[in-house]
Amino acid sequence: MMGMILQTCVLLFWVDLGLSVTHPGKGGDGCGFIITSQWVDLVKVVVNLTKSGFHRDLVYIVQFGAPFPEDLQVLLLQNITRGVYMDFYQLQSLRKDTGLHVLLDSEVDLEAPAYESPGFTALVYPRPNPTNLGHLTTTVPIHGRYHRPSDPGTREKVAIKHPKLLLKSDTCEHGKPLLSSLPHKIVYAPCSVDNVSICSWIEVENLQVPQSMALDLPVGDKSLIFTVCGGTLFITILCNLILTATIWKHAIFEFS
Amino acid sequence: MWFAGNKGSLYFRKGSSTMGLLVHKALSQLMRTHVLLSFALVMRLLLVGFGIYQDRTMTVKYTDIDYHVFTDASRYVTQGESPYNRSTYRYTPLLAWILTPNIYLTFVFGKLLFVACDVLTGLLIQRLLLLRGLSAESSCLYSALWLLNPLPAGVSSRGNAESLLAALVLGTLLCLERRWLFSGAVLYGLAVHMKIYPVTYALPIALYLQTREQGAGTPGGKRSWTLWGFVRRVLNRDLLMFAFISGGLFCGLTLVFYHIYGWDFLHETYLYHLTRRDIRHNFSPYFYMLYLTAEREWSLVLGLASFLPQVSLLLLSSLAFHTDLSLCCFLNTAIFVTFNKVCTSQYFLWYLCLLPLVIPHLTLSLKKGVGVLALWFAAQALWLAPAYYLEFEGQDTFVLIWLAGLLFLIINTYIMVTIISHYRRIAIPNRPKTD
Repeated sequence: MMGMILQTCVLLFWVDLGLSVTHPGKGGDGCGFIITSQWVDLVKVVVNLTKSGFHRDLVYIVQFGAPFPEDLQVLLLQNITRGVYMDFYQLQSLRKDTGLHVLLDSEVDLEAPAYESPGFTALVYPRPNPTNLGHLTTTVPIHGRYHRPSDPGTREKVAIKHPKLLLKSDTCEHGKPLLSSLPHKIVYAPCSVDNVSICSWIEVENLQVPQSMALDLPVGDKSLIFTVCGGTLFITILCNLILTATIWKHAIFEFS
Repeated sequence: MWFAGNKGSLYFRKGSSTMGLLVHKALSQLMRTHVLLSFALVMRLLLVGFGIYQDRTMTVKYTDIDYHVFTDASRYVTQGESPYNRSTYRYTPLLAWILTPNIYLTFVFGKLLFVACDVLTGLLIQRLLLLRGLSAESSCLYSALWLLNPLPAGVSSRGNAESLLAALVLGTLLCLERRWLFSGAVLYGLAVHMKIYPVTYALPIALYLQTREQGAGTPGGKRSWTLWGFVRRVLNRDLLMFAFISGGLFCGLTLVFYHIYGWDFLHETYLYHLTRRDIRHNFSPYFYMLYLTAEREWSLVLGLASFLPQVSLLLLSSLAFHTDLSLCCFLNTAIFVTFNKVCTSQYFLWYLCLLPLVIPHLTLSLKKGVGVLALWFAAQALWLAPAYYLEFEGQDTFVLIWLAGLLFLIINTYIMVTIISHYRRIAIPNRPKTD
């Protein structure tokens, strides 16, 4: 399973085509819908970081303020820094329970500290919100990693970058691309969680980027290193001596 | 009110009320082996059923995360792949193989197996207590400490595999007490293959077998303190047979799985646990020290040095108490867990399954016994509170967790000291001959 994910997601790569095609209006080779700057101005990608501590939720809300094709599909590319991780197996379980659709581009170590972990990219496929038409939402759990001990009172801020918004429309495939009148990039990425063959997506740029978010994680106090080592060794040796004396006192040494 | 008398007998304080008599009668019925076992099994099956309901309907799941790990690993096995493709699977492939009916039959197969082993553990405790001279009623009462205990019932019904180990360890002890050395050796070899910690019983078992061979304490027994005499005592037929079978089984399984799964098997099943340096918070007194020194050059030395208190105590305890194997295994497990570099709450079950064998021989008053138990729970609560605030609230409580870990070590030491100093040694009656 992991192998499959690696094979498919490693294929994710960027191709910068700049201003590739523009086909204003309906008909022609296009699918009949053009991404314009006015349309983009009304698109919002809101990301909220909920809960506290090491186990948090990233709540994504994609809002389209203007009409869009019915079969428009959305992919959020979320770069994850080394300070946090997503648990592939938790995502699998949530996929069954809540229909969460997320792919990871590499195998993620669930136990390593931040300084021994590489970052990775998550491909989040938000789904329509049945209670709010025109909105797509999804909630993805992330977890903080342990960080290098630091000076007293210091905490580690792990910034969560804003995701990139990619769009595609099935009816716009095979030479009939979803069009943009703006400078844009074509990104090749898995079509969906269920269909991991590669599709071409349009990255919507110039989105309004809200304030960045960060996890604020506690770290060990390195100034205490000798106190902690001394205290730990003192107590363990003391307990060892007490137990040794007790065992010796009540021992039943029979060897023949 | 129930309490245990000095001889492990059960008494009912005479209240002479009708209600009291009814309760007495009901509990007397419950203290029959088959009733107790049936009650324990039904209780666990209900918990498994509730688990299915909770998993389907609630956000917080009943099933242990480890159970999903086992099942994922089994799925890889059924697909002809290595169970170690499932990250964090750090067990023998045998477990993944045993649990393949989770894929082929039903997801709850493993839970039912663990629940069965859990109840079997209670039965083995009861049989061992009978062998150790307790009455039928008392042996049921003390085995009820396991069978009616919500902790092991919850753990096995959530899908944690610890009950498999508990059954293997208690099965080994029962076979040794009955002198069924072949069966004991097979169970012991399997137990060490499944988890490393029963290896701490190797020395007590070896000493136990050589002591028994010589008929310790018999009037006609001659003591030979020469080197030849010592070697002859240690290398007796029973010990060699036990070592050959258990060692052979362990090595055979290791070779077979190494042949199939290669380095992954050795690393994930054994080496990972030996070299494990988990810097994330856990019950171990060493956790904060290992976290702060993780990247220091001398951290390796510190890690090795932390083995010393554990190893020295295991050695001494084995030499001191090997004649009473149940007590010795209990103490060795408690020492191993308490002084380990990593300790999580599931490790507590490793020694809790042996506790009912020790309790009947304690001369503690009920009040003090309950006090010691309360202290053990209080120490865990004191650790859990700052751990919760760190993990779920993001507060810097590292120092508090470290101090609570040290306090837990002190309290565990106090409990072990109390048990050792209040333990009344028993003469095990009618020791059978080797099979």
